[in-house]
Amino acid sequence: MPEAVLNLLLIPLIKIVVLLGVVLLIVAYLTYAERKILAYMQVRLGPNRVGPKGWLQPIADGLKLFVKEDLIPGGAERFVFLLAPGLIMVPALLMFAVIPFGEPFKVGGRTITPYLADVNIAILLLLGISSIGVFGIILGGWSSNSKFSLMGGLRSAAQMISYEIPMGFAVVSVLMMAGTLSLVGIVEAQRQAHIWFVLPGILAFGIYWICGVAETNRNPFDLPEAEAELVAGFHTEYSGMKFALFFLAEYANMMVISALATVMFFGGWLPPFPNLLAGLWASPVLAWIPGVVWFAAKMGFFLFCYIWFRGTFPRYRFDQLMAVGWKWLLPLSLANVMLVGVLMLWWKG
Amino acid sequence: MPVKEFFKTLVPVELFQGLGVTGAYLFRKKETVQYPEKRLEPQDRFRGMFGYSLERCIDCHLCAKACPISIIHIKDHTEVEEVEGPDGKIKKKKTKVIDRYDIDVKRCMFCGLCEEACPTDEKSIWLTTKSYEGAVYERNEALYFDKERLGSWEGFVGFPGVKAPAEGQLPSDPLGKKKAAEGGA
Amino acid sequence: MSMHDPLKPLFDVEEMEISFGPQHPATHGVLRVQIKLDGERIMEAKPIIGYLHRGTEKLFETMAFPACIPHTDRMDYVTSATNNQGFCVAMEKLLGLTIPPRAAYIRMILAELQRLASHLVWLATHAIDIGAITPFFYTFRERDAILDLFEEYCGARLTLNTMRIGGVPFELPEGWLDRCSAFIEAFPKHIEEYETLLTENRIWKKRTIGIGVIPAEEAIEMGMTGPPLRGSGVEWDIRKVFPYDRYDEIEFDIPTGKNCDTYDRYLVRMEEMRQSVRIIRQCIEKIPDGPIMAKAPKVLRAKEGMVYASVESPKGELGYFIVATEKGTTPYRCRVRPPSFVNLQALPQLVEGALVADLVAVIGTLDIVLGEIDR
Repeated sequence: MPEAVLNLLLIPLIKIVVLLGVVLLIVAYLTYAERKILAYMQVRLGPNRVGPKGWLQPIADGLKLFVKEDLIPGGAERFVFLLAPGLIMVPALLMFAVIPFGEPFKVGGRTITPYLADVNIAILLLLGISSIGVFGIILGGWSSNSKFSLMGGLRSAAQMISYEIPMGFAVVSVLMMAGTLSLVGIVEAQRQAHIWFVLPGILAFGIYWICGVAETNRNPFDLPEAEAELVAGFHTEYSGMKFALFFLAEYANMMVISALATVMFFGGWLPPFPNLLAGLWASPVLAWIPGVVWFAAKMGFFLFCYIWFRGTFPRYRFDQLMAVGWKWLLPLSLANVMLVGVLMLWWKG
Repeated sequence: MPVKEFFKTLVPVELFQGLGVTGAYLFRKKETVQYPEKRLEPQDRFRGMFGYSLERCIDCHLCAKACPISIIHIKDHTEVEEVEGPDGKIKKKKTKVIDRYDIDVKRCMFCGLCEEACPTDEKSIWLTTKSYEGAVYERNEALYFDKERLGSWEGFVGFPGVKAPAEGQLPSDPLGKKKAAEGGA
Repeated sequence: MSMHDPLKPLFDVEEMEISFGPQHPATHGVLRVQIKLDGERIMEAKPIIGYLHRGTEKLFETMAFPACIPHTDRMDYVTSATNNQGFCVAMEKLLGLTIPPRAAYIRMILAELQRLASHLVWLATHAIDIGAITPFFYTFRERDAILDLFEEYCGARLTLNTMRIGGVPFELPEGWLDRCSAFIEAFPKHIEEYETLLTENRIWKKRTIGIGVIPAEEAIEMGMTGPPLRGSGVEWDIRKVFPYDRYDEIEFDIPTGKNCDTYDRYLVRMEEMRQSVRIIRQCIEKIPDGPIMAKAPKVLRAKEGMVYASVESPKGELGYFIVATEKGTTPYRCRVRPPSFVNLQALPQLVEGALVADLVAVIGTLDIVLGEIDR
């Protein structure tokens, strides 16, 4: 087999299959985890009937949604209605292509990178792709020919646009610290800096996290699908597999936001204080832990926080959400960029 | 905005307190009762399914009158029997025979007024049977009890441990616990 | 804040009409609110009721006085004990019965427990409408404990049918008072838990402060009673102003609000729960021995006349107006003054110019039960 075929076709193909499989599996089990954790917070037991401890629940859910009748409401814009779930699902999965999950490792003398591509403008790419996702929501809400869906879609549009800006500025402060747009580069920069970026960039992290929660339409910013007001928001009229796609995309987006938080602020696959405690991490007890585990642990914590927030907080009102975004987060993120700049000048000069 | 207020807004202490409450509940004991495997035992006065004792019933119709929605249907006739008295004279003895004692259970709202109205010492119509699983597929037939079914509970499964009224269930003691305790003592 | 009049559309746009309910997660039953929207702003809201009408008032006319009581359960099905109490108080006034003190105390304990249960349901649904899902489960856990007490006392959990004209039907089970007092001693801790989750929470405050404001005068004009009126700062509680049963022997405060908004009504209800605990505690201390039923004939026959008596239901003033004929065994006419129905009147005014999300909050804060509104 020619080397080129192996390097350019076979290995990426295997990686894509593994990545998609793992991501979809995690997404499916994230719904299970959410139901279980929420239940535990609410003195309930959660799903525990399908399989041992309810482990097969996501599969049962998937099957149910798969065989359900696929309704298209009368008066709906058929083509757009069908397009919308794909339009939100594809970008959500696409984003995983550039996220580095761990360090390169060697298999049979060949170095394998546990990410599909180390794009040198990865962050720009991510911000760009994530903005496409909003089209799925707007178009889905509009094409359903339902007033509640329309309102959900419009809310979502306004919300995502206004929260993308402070999020961008929060990311900018990380870029300033790292000096690169590549996600792998950002992690390496944290290794060289001896410190996770969350410590100098605590404010940036706070802003990023709030915006991230808002971007994924999760509580307390889940206005596009606020069930008490809009029944189910933009996907009120969707059923069956199309609903499942919206659902999965939401969880995939949560994963992306968590993964990005891990990479940009919490050192990606690096253990805590990679250089200060280098001796500890090299000790035989801990050395075997691969970077992927650190990454998964951090990402898992953020995903848990998503669920935790959902279990605790009430929901903002639409105009208040806008006020938080424009009046608090935007000025704060701008000030933060300034602050980081000044600090860096002081540090280096 | 004063500086203190500003920082108070910036650091959301009260939100973290809320997170603390829900977070702590993760590890608390859960309240769920796994129903079909574990059934909560109703209290003694729980108004569940009808019990009826034809022997004790004196055919006074008070229950039917007390019923707010008139779902107790009673019909009777008087049988006259000629019995020879101890002094040799032939006496006419009248006995009331209950032909029909029907309860339309599907319409019942389980208020318990029939039981309260019943004048017999040990009630002859009672709702305190600790049974609550009355769900059926076809309610017109399955939830219309005539006097035989009221006694035998045919087609109705009582709470585990509860006997049918005809097998000696008592209104004050549907599980037979008190009786067993007395018998033991 | 905004420069333009919120009631005037910004552009020349068509208003969107939305039928909010009767099947909607936030309308607490089958309320239908027809709203006209400019964007998200409510230009006009019109509550439409009648989806749960069962003709209870007419039904009363066909049935003997004691048989009416189970039907009162089904009006405000969240607070059936106070419904029973209202009817019984009115009937006792009509028949001139005085109930024995023990019966009165049992009634008060039951009614206050029911008030707790009702406020817990209100808090659960109000919080879930505003997006906090977890308090729902905590409050229902406590409500379940209350329902267990009810079940032990009268054998039912929701539609209690627990009071009779002239007293109460059952003696308290052995040890019931101990279990009751154990519950109410543990209860204030749970209230604190809910308050940690909500009271100081900035999102909760943002969603409730300044929402659904109704000044005291207007609230009185609307005929509002109960917590919505007290939230506007009027100290009006039937238990204090026209004491029934033995409320005159019990000490308690009437919490009132200042800002007439949703947040104050929330605080008022939270404080009312604490006051209810206080009332139950006193009742348990003071409960005398004695009979539980007044001496009344088996078949109740009224004198000709009419009577109005009201009780403080958790939702407000629950009144029964009963007209009786000479020697009649059934009410000639029974009119119920349901607090939810009267409080709902204020909805269009409360939400005018507000956002859709506020409509949900306001429906929650009025604490309506459609079974009572439609009867």
